[in-house]
Amino acid sequence: MWMKNDDELVSEVLKGDQTSFELLLRPYRLGLLNMAYRMTGNREEAKEICQDALIKVYRYLHRYEKGKSFKSWVYKITMNSAYDFLRKKKKSEDIIESQKDLHFATSPNPEQQFLNREIGSKIESCLRNLSPKEKAVFLLRDGDGFSVEETSEILKCSSLSVRTHLSRARKKIRAQFDKVNLGFKKEVNSEV
Amino acid sequence: MKCKKIRHWLPLMVGLDLSEHKVKAVKSHLVKCTGCQQEYDAYVLSLEKTKEWLEEDKQNWEEREWQQAVQNAVKQKKPAISPFAPWPFTKTWAYSLMGVLAAALLFLFVIKPFNLREGIAPESEMFARTQAQLLRSAFQESPQEVVKMTMVLPETGQKIIWIFDKNFDLEVKK
Ligand SMILES: [Zn+2]
Repeated sequence: MWMKNDDELVSEVLKGDQTSFELLLRPYRLGLLNMAYRMTGNREEAKEICQDALIKVYRYLHRYEKGKSFKSWVYKITMNSAYDFLRKKKKSEDIIESQKDLHFATSPNPEQQFLNREIGSKIESCLRNLSPKEKAVFLLRDGDGFSVEETSEILKCSSLSVRTHLSRARKKIRAQFDKVNLGFKKEVNSEV
Repeated sequence: MKCKKIRHWLPLMVGLDLSEHKVKAVKSHLVKCTGCQQEYDAYVLSLEKTKEWLEEDKQNWEEREWQQAVQNAVKQKKPAISPFAPWPFTKTWAYSLMGVLAAALLFLFVIKPFNLREGIAPESEMFARTQAQLLRSAFQESPQEVVKMTMVLPETGQKIIWIFDKNFDLEVKK
Protein backbone atom coordinates (compact mmCIF):
# COMPACT_ATOMS: atom_id res chain seq x y z
CA MET A 1 0.00 0.00 0.00
CA TRP A 2 1.25 3.43 -0.91
CA MET A 3 1.88 5.42 2.27
CA LYS A 4 1.39 9.15 2.07
CA ASN A 5 3.76 11.35 4.05
CA ASP A 6 2.60 13.87 6.62
CA ASP A 7 2.67 16.85 4.28
CA GLU A 8 0.60 15.04 1.67
CA LEU A 9 -1.93 14.04 4.32
CA VAL A 10 -2.09 17.62 5.60
CA SER A 11 -2.96 18.78 2.07
CA GLU A 12 -5.69 16.15 1.84
CA VAL A 13 -7.21 17.27 5.14
CA LEU A 14 -7.09 20.92 4.10
CA LYS A 15 -8.87 19.96 0.88
CA GLY A 16 -11.66 18.58 3.09
CA ASP A 17 -10.81 14.89 3.41
CA GLN A 18 -11.56 14.09 7.05
CA THR A 19 -10.42 10.46 6.92
CA SER A 20 -6.87 11.65 6.18
CA PHE A 21 -6.89 13.42 9.54
CA GLU A 22 -7.06 10.11 11.36
CA LEU A 23 -4.28 8.66 9.20
CA LEU A 24 -2.17 11.74 9.82
CA LEU A 25 -2.42 11.54 13.62
CA ARG A 26 -2.48 7.77 14.08
CA PRO A 27 1.32 7.26 14.25
CA TYR A 28 1.62 9.81 17.07
CA ARG A 29 -1.41 8.86 19.14
CA LEU A 30 0.44 6.71 21.69
CA GLY A 31 3.30 9.16 22.11
CA LEU A 32 0.88 12.01 22.70
CA LEU A 33 -1.30 10.08 25.12
CA ASN A 34 1.69 8.95 27.19
CA MET A 35 3.28 12.39 27.18
CA ALA A 36 0.03 13.82 28.55
CA TYR A 37 -0.32 10.91 30.96
CA ARG A 38 3.12 11.53 32.43
CA MET A 39 2.45 15.23 32.75
CA THR A 40 -0.76 14.74 34.71
CA GLY A 41 -0.40 11.21 36.13
CA ASN A 42 -4.00 10.42 35.22
CA ARG A 43 -5.26 8.56 32.17
CA GLU A 44 -8.63 10.29 31.92
CA GLU A 45 -6.98 13.69 32.16
CA ALA A 46 -4.43 12.62 29.56
CA LYS A 47 -7.28 11.77 27.19
CA GLU A 48 -8.85 15.14 27.87
CA ILE A 49 -5.56 16.87 27.01
CA CYS A 50 -5.24 14.83 23.80
CA GLN A 51 -8.81 15.68 22.84
CA ASP A 52 -8.09 19.36 23.27
CA ALA A 53 -4.88 19.00 21.27
CA LEU A 54 -6.62 17.13 18.43
CA ILE A 55 -9.24 19.85 18.17
CA LYS A 56 -6.51 22.50 17.97
CA VAL A 57 -4.47 20.51 15.45
CA TYR A 58 -7.52 20.24 13.19
CA ARG A 59 -8.54 23.86 13.63
CA TYR A 60 -5.08 25.31 13.02
CA LEU A 61 -3.80 22.79 10.51
CA HIS A 62 -3.37 25.52 7.89
CA ARG A 63 -0.79 27.14 10.16
CA TYR A 64 1.51 24.15 10.01
CA GLU A 65 4.48 24.97 7.78
CA LYS A 66 5.04 22.16 5.32
CA GLY A 67 8.56 20.78 5.22
CA LYS A 68 8.96 21.14 8.97
CA SER A 69 8.46 18.23 11.34
CA PHE A 70 4.75 17.58 11.75
CA LYS A 71 5.52 15.41 14.77
CA SER A 72 7.21 18.29 16.59
CA TRP A 73 4.34 20.60 15.69
CA VAL A 74 1.76 18.19 17.11
CA TYR A 75 3.81 17.64 20.26
CA LYS A 76 4.09 21.40 20.70
CA ILE A 77 0.32 21.78 20.57
CA THR A 78 -0.20 18.85 22.95
CA MET A 79 2.37 20.22 25.36
CA ASN A 80 0.56 23.57 25.34
CA SER A 81 -2.72 21.80 26.06
CA ALA A 82 -1.04 19.92 28.92
CA TYR A 83 0.34 23.14 30.41
CA ASP A 84 -3.07 24.81 30.10
CA PHE A 85 -4.65 21.83 31.78
CA LEU A 86 -2.15 21.82 34.65
CA ARG A 87 -2.61 25.54 35.16
CA LYS A 88 -6.38 25.19 35.38
CA LYS A 89 -6.07 22.14 37.59
CA LYS A 90 -3.68 23.85 39.97
CA LYS A 91 -6.24 26.58 40.43
CA SER A 92 -9.08 24.24 41.21
CA GLU A 93 -7.47 21.53 43.32
CA ASP A 94 -4.36 20.22 44.95
CA ILE A 95 -2.35 18.23 42.40
CA ILE A 96 -0.64 15.96 44.87
CA GLU A 97 -3.93 14.76 46.32
CA SER A 98 -5.32 13.83 42.93
CA GLN A 99 -2.18 11.95 41.91
CA LYS A 100 -2.63 9.40 44.67
CA ASP A 101 -5.10 7.27 42.76
CA LEU A 102 -3.36 7.23 39.41
CA HIS A 103 -2.89 4.41 36.96
CA PHE A 104 -5.08 1.76 38.49
CA ALA A 105 -8.52 2.36 37.12
CA THR A 106 -8.07 0.74 33.72
CA SER A 107 -6.26 -2.61 34.09
CA PRO A 108 -8.57 -5.55 33.65
CA ASN A 109 -6.87 -8.42 35.52
CA PRO A 110 -5.51 -8.24 39.09
CA GLU A 111 -2.07 -9.62 38.26
CA GLN A 112 -1.54 -7.07 35.50
CA GLN A 113 -3.00 -4.46 37.78
CA PHE A 114 -0.42 -5.23 40.45
CA LEU A 115 2.44 -5.08 37.94
CA ASN A 116 1.19 -1.83 36.43
CA ARG A 117 0.75 -0.31 39.84
CA GLU A 118 4.28 -1.24 40.82
CA ILE A 119 5.91 0.10 37.69
CA GLY A 120 3.61 3.09 37.64
CA SER A 121 4.37 4.05 41.19
CA LYS A 122 8.11 3.59 40.60
CA ILE A 123 8.05 6.05 37.74
CA GLU A 124 5.84 8.37 39.73
CA SER A 125 8.41 8.31 42.52
CA CYS A 126 11.25 8.99 40.11
CA LEU A 127 9.46 11.91 38.49
CA ARG A 128 7.90 13.20 41.70
CA ASN A 129 10.39 15.97 42.43
CA LEU A 130 10.58 17.27 38.89
CA SER A 131 9.06 20.63 38.00
CA PRO A 132 6.66 20.59 35.01
CA LYS A 133 9.39 22.02 32.77
CA GLU A 134 11.97 19.47 33.93
CA LYS A 135 9.44 16.71 33.42
CA ALA A 136 8.56 17.96 29.95
CA VAL A 137 12.21 18.22 28.91
CA PHE A 138 12.99 14.77 30.31
CA LEU A 139 9.98 13.12 28.66
CA LEU A 140 10.66 14.67 25.28
CA ARG A 141 14.41 14.00 25.25
CA ASP A 142 14.66 10.68 27.12
CA GLY A 143 11.13 9.35 26.73
CA ASP A 144 10.41 10.20 23.10
CA GLY A 145 13.96 10.62 21.82
CA PHE A 146 13.65 14.17 20.52
CA SER A 147 16.98 15.98 20.14
CA VAL A 148 17.84 18.92 22.39
CA GLU A 149 17.13 21.28 19.48
CA GLU A 150 13.76 19.69 18.71
CA THR A 151 12.87 19.83 22.40
CA SER A 152 13.73 23.52 22.53
CA GLU A 153 11.52 24.07 19.48
CA ILE A 154 8.60 22.19 21.05
CA LEU A 155 8.89 23.97 24.39
CA LYS A 156 9.66 27.34 22.79
CA CYS A 157 12.84 27.91 24.80
CA SER A 158 16.59 27.97 24.17
CA SER A 159 18.78 24.87 23.84
CA LEU A 160 20.68 26.11 26.87
CA SER A 161 17.49 26.11 28.92
CA VAL A 162 16.72 22.59 27.70
CA ARG A 163 20.19 21.38 28.74
CA THR A 164 19.91 23.04 32.15
CA HIS A 165 16.50 21.49 32.86
CA LEU A 166 17.57 18.13 31.45
CA SER A 167 20.61 18.07 33.69
CA ARG A 168 18.52 18.89 36.75
CA ALA A 169 15.90 16.31 35.83
CA ARG A 170 18.44 13.52 35.40
CA LYS A 171 20.10 14.47 38.70
CA LYS A 172 16.79 14.33 40.56
CA ILE A 173 15.83 11.05 38.92
CA ARG A 174 19.19 9.53 39.76
CA ALA A 175 18.77 10.64 43.38
CA GLN A 176 15.28 9.10 43.60
CA PHE A 177 16.22 6.00 41.67
CA ASP A 178 18.22 4.17 44.32
CA LYS A 179 15.52 4.65 46.94
CA VAL A 180 12.78 3.46 44.59
CA ASN A 181 14.70 0.54 43.13
CA LEU A 182 15.78 -0.73 46.55
CA GLY A 183 12.28 -0.42 47.98
CA PHE A 184 10.80 -2.29 45.04
CA LYS A 185 13.25 -5.22 45.37
CA LYS A 186 12.39 -5.60 49.06
CA GLU A 187 8.67 -5.51 48.35
CA VAL A 188 8.87 -8.17 45.63
CA ASN A 189 10.94 -10.48 47.84
CA SER A 190 8.47 -10.21 50.71
CA GLU A 191 5.57 -10.99 48.29
CA VAL A 192 7.35 -14.17 47.14
CA MET B 1 40.53 18.16 34.96
CA LYS B 2 38.85 18.40 38.34
CA CYS B 3 36.27 15.82 39.42
CA LYS B 4 33.81 18.57 40.41
CA LYS B 5 33.65 19.89 36.89
CA ILE B 6 33.35 16.41 35.39
CA ARG B 7 30.51 15.50 37.76
CA HIS B 8 28.68 18.64 36.77
CA TRP B 9 28.71 17.36 33.18
CA LEU B 10 27.78 13.75 33.96
CA PRO B 11 23.96 14.12 33.77
CA LEU B 12 24.30 15.45 30.23
CA MET B 13 27.05 12.99 29.37
CA VAL B 14 24.65 10.03 29.79
CA GLY B 15 22.63 11.19 26.82
CA LEU B 16 25.66 12.56 24.96
CA ASP B 17 24.07 15.98 25.21
CA LEU B 18 27.42 17.74 25.58
CA SER B 19 29.69 19.32 22.99
CA GLU B 20 32.19 17.00 21.38
CA HIS B 21 35.21 18.34 23.23
CA LYS B 22 33.45 17.98 26.60
CA VAL B 23 32.50 14.40 25.78
CA LYS B 24 36.16 13.72 25.00
CA ALA B 25 37.29 15.36 28.24
CA VAL B 26 34.80 13.36 30.32
CA LYS B 27 35.74 10.10 28.62
CA SER B 28 39.44 10.56 29.21
CA HIS B 29 38.76 11.47 32.86
CA LEU B 30 36.53 8.45 33.49
CA VAL B 31 39.30 6.10 32.41
CA LYS B 32 41.53 7.44 35.17
CA CYS B 33 38.98 8.14 37.95
CA THR B 34 37.02 5.29 39.56
CA GLY B 35 34.87 7.62 41.67
CA CYS B 36 33.54 9.54 38.68
CA GLN B 37 33.20 6.31 36.68
CA GLN B 38 30.95 4.89 39.43
CA GLU B 39 28.93 8.06 39.49
CA TYR B 40 28.58 7.89 35.72
CA ASP B 41 27.47 4.25 35.88
CA ALA B 42 24.81 5.19 38.43
CA TYR B 43 23.46 7.84 36.05
CA VAL B 44 23.43 5.38 33.17
CA LEU B 45 21.60 2.78 35.24
CA SER B 46 18.98 5.19 36.57
CA LEU B 47 18.29 6.56 33.11
CA GLU B 48 18.12 3.16 31.45
CA LYS B 49 15.80 1.78 34.13
CA THR B 50 13.52 4.80 34.10
CA LYS B 51 13.24 4.56 30.31
CA GLU B 52 12.45 0.87 30.66
CA TRP B 53 9.72 1.56 33.21
CA LEU B 54 8.26 4.30 31.04
CA GLU B 55 8.08 1.78 28.22
CA GLU B 56 6.45 -0.88 30.42
CA ASP B 57 3.87 1.49 31.86
CA LYS B 58 2.72 2.80 28.46
CA GLN B 59 -0.94 3.68 28.19
CA ASN B 60 -2.87 2.79 25.09
CA TRP B 61 -5.96 4.12 23.37
CA GLU B 62 -8.87 1.81 23.02
CA GLU B 63 -9.68 1.96 19.32
CA ARG B 64 -13.19 3.20 20.09
CA GLU B 65 -11.83 6.01 22.30
CA TRP B 66 -9.35 7.08 19.65
CA GLN B 67 -11.90 7.12 16.85
CA GLN B 68 -14.25 9.13 19.04
CA ALA B 69 -11.55 11.67 19.85
CA VAL B 70 -10.76 12.09 16.15
CA GLN B 71 -14.48 12.45 15.35
CA ASN B 72 -14.85 15.12 18.01
CA ALA B 73 -11.98 17.02 16.41
CA VAL B 74 -13.23 16.88 12.82
CA LYS B 75 -16.81 17.67 13.89
CA GLN B 76 -15.81 21.33 14.11
CA LYS B 77 -16.14 23.33 10.95
CA LYS B 78 -13.73 22.52 8.16
CA PRO B 79 -10.25 24.06 8.51
CA ALA B 80 -10.95 25.84 5.23
CA ILE B 81 -8.88 28.77 4.04
CA SER B 82 -11.29 31.69 4.20
CA PRO B 83 -10.37 35.40 4.06
CA PHE B 84 -11.33 35.57 7.73
CA ALA B 85 -9.21 32.61 8.75
CA PRO B 86 -6.45 33.30 11.26
CA TRP B 87 -2.81 33.88 10.42
CA PRO B 88 -1.41 34.12 7.81
CA PHE B 89 -4.66 35.00 6.13
CA THR B 90 -5.77 37.78 8.46
CA LYS B 91 -2.29 39.19 8.01
CA THR B 92 -2.84 39.53 4.27
CA TRP B 93 -6.25 40.93 5.05
CA ALA B 94 -4.83 43.40 7.54
CA TYR B 95 -2.07 44.49 5.17
CA SER B 96 -4.48 45.17 2.33
CA LEU B 97 -6.74 47.12 4.69
CA MET B 98 -3.78 49.17 5.88
CA GLY B 99 -2.82 49.80 2.24
CA VAL B 100 -6.29 51.04 1.35
CA LEU B 101 -6.35 53.24 4.44
CA ALA B 102 -2.95 54.72 3.65
CA ALA B 103 -4.04 55.46 0.07
CA ALA B 104 -7.21 57.14 1.35
CA LEU B 105 -5.25 59.30 3.78
CA LEU B 106 -2.74 60.23 1.08
CA PHE B 107 -5.57 61.25 -1.23
CA LEU B 108 -7.39 63.27 1.43
CA PHE B 109 -4.51 65.19 2.92
CA VAL B 110 -1.88 65.39 0.20
CA ILE B 111 -3.48 65.21 -3.23
CA LYS B 112 -7.00 66.50 -2.65
CA PRO B 113 -6.21 69.88 -1.01
CA PHE B 114 -4.65 71.25 -4.23
CA ASN B 115 -7.81 70.40 -6.14
CA LEU B 116 -9.97 71.85 -3.39
CA ARG B 117 -8.03 75.07 -3.29
CA GLU B 118 -8.71 75.61 -7.00
CA GLY B 119 -12.44 75.50 -6.53
CA ILE B 120 -13.18 76.95 -3.11
CA ALA B 121 -13.04 80.70 -2.96
CA PRO B 122 -12.05 81.52 0.66
CA GLU B 123 -9.28 78.98 0.62
CA SER B 124 -7.80 80.14 -2.65
CA GLU B 125 -7.93 83.68 -1.35
CA MET B 126 -5.92 82.63 1.68
CA PHE B 127 -3.57 80.74 -0.58
CA ALA B 128 -3.05 83.83 -2.72
CA ARG B 129 -2.28 85.90 0.37
CA THR B 130 0.30 83.36 1.49
CA GLN B 131 1.81 83.44 -1.99
CA ALA B 132 2.14 87.19 -1.93
CA GLN B 133 3.82 87.08 1.46
CA LEU B 134 6.19 84.38 0.33
CA LEU B 135 6.99 86.30 -2.84
CA ARG B 136 7.75 89.41 -0.82
CA SER B 137 9.99 87.53 1.57
CA ALA B 138 11.70 85.78 -1.34
CA PHE B 139 12.67 89.10 -2.92
CA GLN B 140 14.22 90.22 0.34
CA GLU B 141 16.57 87.26 0.25
CA SER B 142 19.49 86.94 -2.09
CA PRO B 143 18.49 85.32 -5.41
CA GLN B 144 20.74 82.30 -4.86
CA GLU B 145 18.96 81.46 -1.64
CA VAL B 146 15.56 80.69 -3.18
CA VAL B 147 14.03 78.76 -6.06
CA LYS B 148 10.72 79.87 -7.54
CA MET B 149 8.27 77.78 -9.60
CA THR B 150 5.20 79.26 -11.28
CA MET B 151 2.24 77.38 -12.76
CA VAL B 152 -0.58 79.14 -14.66
CA LEU B 153 -3.91 77.33 -14.94
CA PRO B 154 -5.20 77.85 -18.54
CA GLU B 155 -8.91 77.67 -17.60
CA THR B 156 -8.98 80.23 -14.80
CA GLY B 157 -5.77 82.06 -15.37
CA GLN B 158 -4.89 81.48 -11.72
CA LYS B 159 -1.22 81.40 -10.90
CA ILE B 160 0.30 79.01 -8.43
CA ILE B 161 3.79 79.86 -7.25
CA TRP B 162 6.01 77.60 -5.19
CA ILE B 163 8.98 79.11 -3.45
CA PHE B 164 11.65 76.89 -1.96
CA ASP B 165 14.73 77.87 0.03
CA LYS B 166 18.20 76.57 -0.84
CA ASN B 167 17.51 73.34 1.06
CA PHE B 168 14.40 72.87 -1.11
CA ASP B 169 12.16 73.35 1.92
CA LEU B 170 8.91 75.11 1.28
CA GLU B 171 9.12 78.31 3.22
CA VAL B 172 6.06 79.71 4.91
CA LYS B 173 6.34 82.97 6.74
CA LYS B 174 3.58 84.36 8.91
ZN1 LIG C 1 36.98 12.15 39.00
